[in-house]
Amino acid sequence: MTTAAVTPIRPHTPVKAFYFNTSAHLLRITRQKAASMFEFLEALRECPDGSIFQHTFRTLQEHHFIREGFSNDFAQWALSACNEPGLAEALATVDVREFTAVGDLRARFIEIVEEFLTRNPAAVNRPARETFYFCASDIVVIPTNQVAHTLQEFAEGLRRVSVHSIQHHFIEARLRLKLMSNDFSQWLYEDLGLTEAARQLNRIDIYTVTLDDVKNQIIRIVERALV
Amino acid sequence: MEPVESQTRNETVAAEFTSESVETPVPSMPRVERRRKPRAWETPPAPVPPPHLDDYRKIVGEPEIDELRFLARELRGKTVKMVNSTAVGGGVAEMLNQMVPLLNEVEVKTHWDVITGGNDFFEVTKAFHNALQGSEYRLTPQAQDIFLMNNEQNRQRIQFSEDFIVIHDPQPAPLVGARKESPQRWIWRCHIDLSNPNPEVWGFLRPQIDKYDAAIFSSQSFARQLPIPQYLFYPCIDPLSEKNKEIDENFVQQVCDEFGVDRSRPIVTQVSRFDRAKDPVGVIQAFKQARKYVDFQLVMAGGGATDDPEGAAVLREVREAAGDDRDIIILDLPPWCALEINALQRASTIIVQKSVKEGFGLTVTEALWKGKPTIAGAVGGIPNQIIHKLTGVLVHSVEGCAYQMRYLLTHPDFAKQLGENGRAHVKENFLMTTNVRRWLLLLRILSGTK
Repeated sequence: MTTAAVTPIRPHTPVKAFYFNTSAHLLRITRQKAASMFEFLEALRECPDGSIFQHTFRTLQEHHFIREGFSNDFAQWALSACNEPGLAEALATVDVREFTAVGDLRARFIEIVEEFLTRNPAAVNRPARETFYFCASDIVVIPTNQVAHTLQEFAEGLRRVSVHSIQHHFIEARLRLKLMSNDFSQWLYEDLGLTEAARQLNRIDIYTVTLDDVKNQIIRIVERALV
Repeated sequence: MEPVESQTRNETVAAEFTSESVETPVPSMPRVERRRKPRAWETPPAPVPPPHLDDYRKIVGEPEIDELRFLARELRGKTVKMVNSTAVGGGVAEMLNQMVPLLNEVEVKTHWDVITGGNDFFEVTKAFHNALQGSEYRLTPQAQDIFLMNNEQNRQRIQFSEDFIVIHDPQPAPLVGARKESPQRWIWRCHIDLSNPNPEVWGFLRPQIDKYDAAIFSSQSFARQLPIPQYLFYPCIDPLSEKNKEIDENFVQQVCDEFGVDRSRPIVTQVSRFDRAKDPVGVIQAFKQARKYVDFQLVMAGGGATDDPEGAAVLREVREAAGDDRDIIILDLPPWCALEINALQRASTIIVQKSVKEGFGLTVTEALWKGKPTIAGAVGGIPNQIIHKLTGVLVHSVEGCAYQMRYLLTHPDFAKQLGENGRAHVKENFLMTTNVRRWLLLLRILSGTK
């Protein structure tokens, strides 16, 4: 999101309504699997974009209730199946919100694994305790009953929608927008001129809290903007 | 002993158990008076009518149910036929009994047909079933003829005019021969583990599977390389079933009293039929190792010993391993004791499922749903449910199991966190409503209404 000065629109009266959607995902089993770090690296290079998306963005939602120790499936596998805590830490610190394209995210993971294997050649063909099966997401976007014509209604909509909708608008949106932002911040900024609230939303740490906590933080920020 | 009244049933307890030889009390421990011959329900209860979608609102939340209805909108008027090989008994029939009414409720008209066949057919399909899960088997031309001929008879008997035809498991797989030149979509739902199939039987079946539009497996590791899209549908539990619904605390106490389980001391429970794949003897060994350090009871609640000679043999081994230890409570329960199993799980401090071979492990799902810290073998579909040290703990040995029993019993805060995470994991991924969502999504994807 740019921070160029704009003439604020009259507060709390958006130019256009915010329609809350949600997305549902079906897991597809792909051809790629890895029983060693070498196979893992190969699969990272060859798997469909949907697999990278599934094992990073999507798995965040599937495990949204865990506060610590889990950020993506790759890191979890490196720790639990390969007993490589250093690699797991490096993979876990990849923040999906720094990427607006799956291709860039894939490149980052490949880079981390390549660096690790260069430093640890003995790990290349060591068998993993469990095979990593690459899956991919097939996505269907679904409307909800919630529409916000005012900031008040926006806060109410946030309270009523599921965490799936929060994931859709707040976390996965950057792949659609191709911006380091999210649907909520975009609407607050572009349609309501609430620059500070939009900026605060973008600073919420999604990795150290649950998705319910994220939702509550968003609601609190919007409620403060209402005052 | 007085009859026990459950929440929803009012039946007389009659059949007596023969488990336990309880002669050696440990004097230092206060304990409830244990009944020497606990008794069980004699007859199965009447079936409970399937729930409605709105009944799940309180459990999964309003938005989740609304989303299902939105998902179904685009499919309104579409028709589905489910075909399997049995109307009663077994997990597939149980799942269809729940799923079909829910799909109809969201106006996806769903019909369920069951194939028929003689004893020879079902003997062949049973052998195929085992062979596809890795057993030795010699495929004969006669077995192939019986399999194909019976499927042909069913193909002629059953109408296949629906938009989606879903064939469950290998038995009716050749029905795909009835597919018409139309937008009709055929889906093969494989509930069994195909990770290491008998090559002859899989080679025979495979050309049939290739004719489908999509296949569904219960675990990534169960899938095969196929030219059609393969989807992952985890098995699920119904939170409103007798086995999983919320029950009154008084009933939990009543069941514990009935079976001689002392709720003033920690309780570790494994619920499984008496089967070597569930390693019940290993659980007893782990209990004996762990109890050197911490006081607790072990409940081994299972079944399958009455009508299965191997089950009876395993039960004998379990009793032998338990010896005269009063803190090991062995319960051989009939299959309709769902409420009692529910109560025992809820009374437990920790649940164990120390399987050495497993399908998905729905007893693990049940335990997690009840918020119980769970220790389980890292086999089959269990690692999909238990993320080590986050939603439970995985073990690979008797010693590992014993250590985790000790650790969780002495670290209640960590155990509580595991239980909370485990329940949330099931809520997000392994409930009946999640499966309704998966079916609706698949039908939309295959019909091009994404």
